[in-house]
Amino acid sequence: MLPELLQGTDAGGFLIIQDSASYSGRHLLKSFINAALNREEAVHVLGFEVSEEELKDGLKGSPVQRLHFHNAYSDPLGWTDQPAFTVHQFRLEELTRLVKQTSHPKPATLVIDSLSWILRHLSPPAVCKTLQQLRKGGSVRAIIGLLHADMHQRGTVGSVCHLATSVITVAPGMKGDGAVAKITKRSKSGKVVLDEVIFSIKDDLTVVVQSKPSQLGPKQIDPEEQETDPTANLTFNLRLSNTEREAKEKLALPFVFSKEKKIALLHSSPGSGRILYEPDANDDYDQEDPDDDLDV
Amino acid sequence: MAAPMSAVGKPSAERSPFNTTSFQKKTRTKLISIPGTRPSVQNGQLLVSTGVTSLDYLLGGGLAVGTVLLIEEDRYDSYSRMILKYFLAEGVVCRHELFVAAAQDNPDDILQELPAPILDDIAIHKPVEQPRLSCEPQDSLDAMKIAWRYQNLPKVQSALASSSRFGHYYDVSKTMEPEIRQAAKCHHFYLPEHPTQSSPAHSTMLESYSALLKSLQEVINREGFDVAAPMSKSRNILRIGLHSLGSALWGDDLSCHDNPKNGHALTTFLYGLRALLRSSLSVAVVTLPSHLIQDRALMGSITRLCDNAIALESFKGSERETNPLYKDYHGLLHVRQVPHLNCLASKLPDHKDLAFKLKRKQFSIERLHLPPDLSETVSRVSRGELAGAATVASACGSGSSGNKHLDF
Repeated sequence: MLPELLQGTDAGGFLIIQDSASYSGRHLLKSFINAALNREEAVHVLGFEVSEEELKDGLKGSPVQRLHFHNAYSDPLGWTDQPAFTVHQFRLEELTRLVKQTSHPKPATLVIDSLSWILRHLSPPAVCKTLQQLRKGGSVRAIIGLLHADMHQRGTVGSVCHLATSVITVAPGMKGDGAVAKITKRSKSGKVVLDEVIFSIKDDLTVVVQSKPSQLGPKQIDPEEQETDPTANLTFNLRLSNTEREAKEKLALPFVFSKEKKIALLHSSPGSGRILYEPDANDDYDQEDPDDDLDV
Repeated sequence: MAAPMSAVGKPSAERSPFNTTSFQKKTRTKLISIPGTRPSVQNGQLLVSTGVTSLDYLLGGGLAVGTVLLIEEDRYDSYSRMILKYFLAEGVVCRHELFVAAAQDNPDDILQELPAPILDDIAIHKPVEQPRLSCEPQDSLDAMKIAWRYQNLPKVQSALASSSRFGHYYDVSKTMEPEIRQAAKCHHFYLPEHPTQSSPAHSTMLESYSALLKSLQEVINREGFDVAAPMSKSRNILRIGLHSLGSALWGDDLSCHDNPKNGHALTTFLYGLRALLRSSLSVAVVTLPSHLIQDRALMGSITRLCDNAIALESFKGSERETNPLYKDYHGLLHVRQVPHLNCLASKLPDHKDLAFKLKRKQFSIERLHLPPDLSETVSRVSRGELAGAATVASACGSGSSGNKHLDF
């Protein structure tokens, strides 16, 4: 599913790349930027964590002109007099103005590097509200954010990822060559698709999906073992020959009733009780004549 | 206290003959009965259907008017949203009024996704205990020779249903026709459309929750759902659906921080909501993303503040998805709280291990049961993987480890 996500999220999509200290997600983020640039979209990057040169390293060619880097790296908190972009400008009006400054026919993709930086300085509910407003408003087509999951409390990470349409969690791979990506994608109809792939990123920032990771979970359930025959290996005989089986089936059982009585008994519920009586030979006792059963 | 039965006059005339009692009380009052409700057979409370008949059965026949049902959302908010939509769709079909509040999606979008009711099929859903009248008696009688009295009974009674025509069935694959939907009156509350006024510094509730509570109060007073309002008009029920309260989009940091700063905002709101509901003819369903809330004590107090509480746990994405025990179901359902309304003891559900499954025409909640384990050489699943499932008594033979057999 990773290649489809790289091809492009649909409008209003919000993708989060969740990484940790053991594996950085910035390479994958650069691959997404590269893919968006190759699709002739304008990309606006809010860079809080790395400088412009470092981010543009590896992105070559003419598409780089469509990449607009907003420098929040040199002075994010506004300590100097002329800050380029501060974290307090992360609001709907400012961001819309910023994106609309560069006139481009297609709505732009906004890349946030990184969301963790913003979450350290602004309250999570405010950040979530801004992100939701950006998604619903029409100025930005898609938002891609990098989130360092080990920098925040679990509830914060969960709340932000709850808003996202796709979440990619990257972790170092077992074999050392590639990395493992767990992808969760929610479609508009509410369906959720989960996937796990091993990928690696080449020098020109294309992503190569290697394979699905092998199942390291609980072992597969063994195929049905042969059921041991309980009638074997006994000192007495429990098996039936054919004639014996026929004789067994012909035996009249003690509570066998006629078919009509069975149907009547089975279908007489709900609720009502009926007593069905078949007169027995013993009930023929006549009170008047006690010697009726004498055979004289 | 919740609206007692005496506020409603004669029982509704639309009750099916399969109702549990055909007793009709003779009253001299001229009150009109409210469509879509029925009195509870246990304590006489006025009940409405949640839209899901199995859930009605679990809650003791239905949702009592004047109470709150809390649904703890599953991880991706698919099934809790489905139950909310069932609840609203039931309101449309019973001609109740709706009030929908959401911060994430526009209430219009939620209302457009309501499932279509299966109108020609409103007829009685046969309860499981009724024997199937088979047209081929020979086959059915020859099925069991000795135990033939039991052959029409189902193997395990797992489906839960009550036998009255109180709730309706919905087809999830279709959405409700716009004509049916527009016939019902809906009130919306979409948080981004309400500008937040700065609240006074001492209020424990957030602006978003205060605005919601004010809007609710205004709707209840204006439309006459108050119990104290003059009884001359025809009465109706207001169904309130509040989507994803406590999430970050409502401005609440309950789900973001381990020690939230305004930890009492949601609890104050729920207290106010319950007070409002008790004095009006309305019923509320609140969904809450409880998997994001880290403070369990706060979660406990939120549960206590609502009358009914259930939690949904979906198998998607968890390791339980591949467990063969759960392969027929979509998730587990936990009943966290049942209400005590005007009584000391409440009716607890008989079975604690419940699983749900969303089928096209029904959201069924069933008792999770293990089939009898007849073979002695099968490897028993270890206890850790069976967490939550009903362990059968036969597990005592194998103890807690995997494959050991005790030889006698």
